[in-house]
Amino acid sequence: MEIRRVCCVHIENKGCVLLATCRGASSCRRVFVLPDQPELKHVDQILLKQSHTAATTFILEAVKHNADRSAISSCLEELAFSAERIEIFYSTHQKHKKELERLLASIGRCPPRINDASWRLQYHVKNDQVDKVNEPFYLISLNTENEGSEEDINFTCTVEQLQDLVGKLKDAAKSVEKASQM
Amino acid sequence: MLLVLSEDHKEHLSFLPKVDSAVVGEFGRIALEFLRRGTSPKIYEGAARKLSVPVETVQHGVEGLMFLMTESSKHMISEVDFLDSVLVLGFGEELNQILLQLYLQHHAQIRSILSQLPSNLPAYHNLEWRLDVQLASRPLRQQVVPMVTMRLLLVGGGAGGHSSRVLQTDPSSLLHLISTLEAALATMKSSHARRIFRNIK
Repeated sequence: MEIRRVCCVHIENKGCVLLATCRGASSCRRVFVLPDQPELKHVDQILLKQSHTAATTFILEAVKHNADRSAISSCLEELAFSAERIEIFYSTHQKHKKELERLLASIGRCPPRINDASWRLQYHVKNDQVDKVNEPFYLISLNTENEGSEEDINFTCTVEQLQDLVGKLKDAAKSVEKASQM
Repeated sequence: MLLVLSEDHKEHLSFLPKVDSAVVGEFGRIALEFLRRGTSPKIYEGAARKLSVPVETVQHGVEGLMFLMTESSKHMISEVDFLDSVLVLGFGEELNQILLQLYLQHHAQIRSILSQLPSNLPAYHNLEWRLDVQLASRPLRQQVVPMVTMRLLLVGGGAGGHSSRVLQTDPSSLLHLISTLEAALATMKSSHARRIFRNIK
């Protein structure tokens, strides 16, 4: 885990910076916000910014690798953190850990996710090329989402094709069930 | 129902009685080949040279024949109606029989070709799936996230040919999807649907 030693030594004296950073990391996704407590006004702003960045990196790396108590404690001990401060850090870390995990898991590319499906049953009577068609068919619309933007995939299928589709989806569901029982 | 042939159409077909029945049979074969594969001007020129008539006459004759066949197949007219419609043209009995045979032998095929024309929405072709478990990603290690990855193959829809989309879903969405689509299938068997299917013919 990367830790900027110099900056963290300074954090050690300003325990409130850490708390603010923990909260800040989980609430602001892309905006870099400095903690603005009044106690920190007299601190050199550049140093404050460096400390804040270092602390954020440390916290995110700890969540990323699912670091346990001993790993975090030993890291902080190397930086001459007192036992009391380690305890404060660790309890705050535990409080926000789930939220940070969710945040990190949502970053990244993946194929569009299917959320919902709507359907229409229609009866095809005739069209301009062929008369007397007299066939029922389905219009299926899959509602998919990809990184916030939604898209609908529309297609038609006959009754047999829809049965085929549902059969395949059921096979997939069965294999999920079997895998979860192993 | 009877086919109503326009004056232009009748004029184009009037070329047919002037040639032998063998030639009419040949024209019929050419017409069907054109319906299947598309027209080719060289064949018109070849036939025109052999029969010593202008290319246009041959072209109109073949096109008239094609139109007669597609209209008859489109409306699925019976033998009797077909003969009655063709009677209007004033052809001999033999020619009428040749045309009828042409229609009877190929109308199913012509209908299936015609039904491929109006596809403006993509149609389902196939679905491939697999079960994955995500273990880690760049921002977060040590995950256990099951997901079903699918490839939906579609046909047509303006782009022509096959298109495929890669999609993902989690197990609970998958179950929701299955129950929604099963409900869709169940409506086919409802009394309302059955009544409509029975009565619209």
